[in-house]
Amino acid sequence: MAKYLTKRILYSIFCVIAVVAIVMIMIYSLLDRNKVFANDSQYSKLSNNQRTIYCYQQWESYGYLDYVPYTDWLNAMAAAGEIDEETRSAAASIGRTAENDSETVAAYVAEFTEYYESQGYTVVRLDAVVAGKKLASGGSQTLFATKDIPLASRILSYFTGLFEFDNIHKVTDDVGERGLTFTLYDPVYGGEKFSPAIIGNGTNHKYLLYFDNVFPYIHQNFMNLNLGISYSVNSGIDVWQTMTQKQGSFAMRTVIYETGLTESSADNLHTATYVSNSRTATVVNEARYVDNYTNVSTYSAGLSKVGYSFCIGIVATILAYVLGLPLGVLMARYKDGLLDKIGTVYIIFIIAVPSLAYIFLFKAIGGSVFHLPTTFNMESTSKLYYVLPIISLALPSVGSLMKWMRRYMIDQMNADYVKFARSGGLSETEIFSKHIMKNAAIPIIHGIPGSVLGALTGAIITERVYVVPGAGNLLTTAINAYDNGVIVGVTLFYAVLTVTSIILGDLLMSMVDPRISFTTKAR
Amino acid sequence: MNNNELSEKYDMPMEELFSRVDHNELESEKITAPRYSYWRSVFRVFFKKKVNIFALCCLGVIILMTYLYPVFFEYDKYGNVLDAATKHLRPMAAMKLLGYNIHWILGTGASGNSTFDAIWYGAKISVSLAFVCALINLTIGVIVGAVWGFSKKVDAVMMNVYNIIANIPYVLLISVLVMLFTASFWTMVFALTVTGWISIAYFIRTQVIIIRDREYNLASRCLGTSTPKIAMKNILPFMTSVIVTLAATEIPSYISYEVFLAYIGMGLTDMSLGRLIYEAESAMVTPGWEFEFWSPVAVSAIISIVLYVVGQNLGDASDPRTHM
Repeated sequence: MAKYLTKRILYSIFCVIAVVAIVMIMIYSLLDRNKVFANDSQYSKLSNNQRTIYCYQQWESYGYLDYVPYTDWLNAMAAAGEIDEETRSAAASIGRTAENDSETVAAYVAEFTEYYESQGYTVVRLDAVVAGKKLASGGSQTLFATKDIPLASRILSYFTGLFEFDNIHKVTDDVGERGLTFTLYDPVYGGEKFSPAIIGNGTNHKYLLYFDNVFPYIHQNFMNLNLGISYSVNSGIDVWQTMTQKQGSFAMRTVIYETGLTESSADNLHTATYVSNSRTATVVNEARYVDNYTNVSTYSAGLSKVGYSFCIGIVATILAYVLGLPLGVLMARYKDGLLDKIGTVYIIFIIAVPSLAYIFLFKAIGGSVFHLPTTFNMESTSKLYYVLPIISLALPSVGSLMKWMRRYMIDQMNADYVKFARSGGLSETEIFSKHIMKNAAIPIIHGIPGSVLGALTGAIITERVYVVPGAGNLLTTAINAYDNGVIVGVTLFYAVLTVTSIILGDLLMSMVDPRISFTTKAR
Repeated sequence: MNNNELSEKYDMPMEELFSRVDHNELESEKITAPRYSYWRSVFRVFFKKKVNIFALCCLGVIILMTYLYPVFFEYDKYGNVLDAATKHLRPMAAMKLLGYNIHWILGTGASGNSTFDAIWYGAKISVSLAFVCALINLTIGVIVGAVWGFSKKVDAVMMNVYNIIANIPYVLLISVLVMLFTASFWTMVFALTVTGWISIAYFIRTQVIIIRDREYNLASRCLGTSTPKIAMKNILPFMTSVIVTLAATEIPSYISYEVFLAYIGMGLTDMSLGRLIYEAESAMVTPGWEFEFWSPVAVSAIISIVLYVVGQNLGDASDPRTHM
């Protein structure tokens, strides 16, 4: 079993990598990268060389290419002490065209060109654009080197950087004695309440292990997922954080800072990360922190994107199974009866009518007949906001579960073992509940992990129609905003979920049905 | 004494008399059973249900409307765009203002256009898209699925291909293709078929595997039937009902999918049903504008339901076990 499972998991990892690779090819190679600027107001304001530079800067941040301006190279050399400040400023002022360069400039430009061309970069020199005698707007001359990031190294760096391990040598500044301290009394709670925590110095996160009152109560920062950086959807924030970060207004509480300052704030001190020289940078930080671990996130009143999607999805899934399975069983039990006919009409309705249409129908009926709120409100504590999204998600799944349960039951009803049981004198109820249902439920059970994990990904239409701030729309928003980081991150997340749910489904099926075994080769 | 003499002698007509039949090797080999024609039986079973005749009539009317209405009636979306009084009218008001004819029986839309015309022009695109996509996907899917199910070597490779392709987000693939080309009809067909066949092929593969190892195929193989012949003569007839049932669910699903894509802003640029629904979304909650929104929704729902019912029942009828 273990051997089979390892093989399955390896295959699945291969599939996930292949999916990510295909998606990367699609978004980085197939798509026209100029489309990034379709709705960019900054882009339309700029002109001439400045616009070109802006394009390359944006492409670098979207992950298309590597872009090195000439001045950055000089600055780096100056910082490394290879050239002095005077030479740097002399070398930096390049002429309007290559012929106008001074000797120093020409020498450094040649060195720059040689250095980067040997590494496979393309060196681009844009001459000044002149209107009459003066420079045209944004027309100043520029020199830079650029190289498209090849797919292989992109994939490699993506997957190697996927898990980020924190260690005490992470921070390069002088932070005093590096190390981990274990305390039984977490200082965030005033240092008196019993709450174990591991605090690091020299690590990126200050609190590496701590307890609080938020699910799952114990949290760690030793290892963090790094799915990539979001660019336009959630500017500069990690994709994983974009999905799991709580949303909504600040949740204020009394916070005791390290300096002893107590005030009402939404800061979550457990999330503190290191930022160089940040304590002395502002008065606010100086009054609150004793070290440079000042970058904290805040408590919010709402749930995260995945949180909202999961809340709605999991209730809808449970509802679907609770309603759909018994209805399917009853439809099969009283085949061609009234319930079967009504059920069939319902199933046809759900399958045939475009999903958008019936979600709108539920919204219209729910809003006007039952006076339920039709637009989601994060700030409200009322549970009524969840009712319509849950119903809209559950009713289609009820339909499909009814359909399949009925189908499997009816298929089993004609099996020989049923005839045998009947000839043996068992009552119909007994045959149905003890024999047919157990066999018919096996394929249904296979789908359970899929529907539970699928709840995490959210539903596109439902969330759009009811304006739920969930994860379902993340992919479509990212595609519309050309946010490549989010597209890749979300695809990876989806692919891992599907692959995991298939494996879990197989495992669950083999646990429920002893006849199914994955160890010996079937067929 | 021959028969003529006998009939005269006993005064009986010729037919009443016994006549001699000689033994015939050829005749004795023939099996006398009622003639069985597969497709005739399919249609006999299909038309026995009254609901099928009704659904088929509906389907006929809809298909005629979708393809003939645009031929005979001109639709100009911006014909009334300058006349503010013609916008968002209820049917009665529209007819009072613009004259009593078929164009205005569902009122007017956002630019004073006829909702009724818009629906049939949109339906033409949506229904064509659904039929073309279903045809391509079913053809490729059934052929690939048959090979996939038959060969164990192909199966090992295709399972991984399936795992990969099925995991690429559909929305992403379609949007990339739409951005690469323009969002035209054939781009959409390409986007929906480039990976769409694989789920059908997977379904067919499972069906083929179930039937492949049945005893009658084993027997057939032992008697020396070639694999293509087994596929064509033994398995394909078994699959007819499965394929018809599959087509019944596939065709409406493309209409539904087109509506969904239009709604998330990745649909066709042409005025398909999905795009009509998408553009009239705000009209759903505005009092007096409901017709603009609900008519395309209703038409797409009716088209899908009719197609589904006809397809399902045809699928049932094409199962030889129901012919008895």
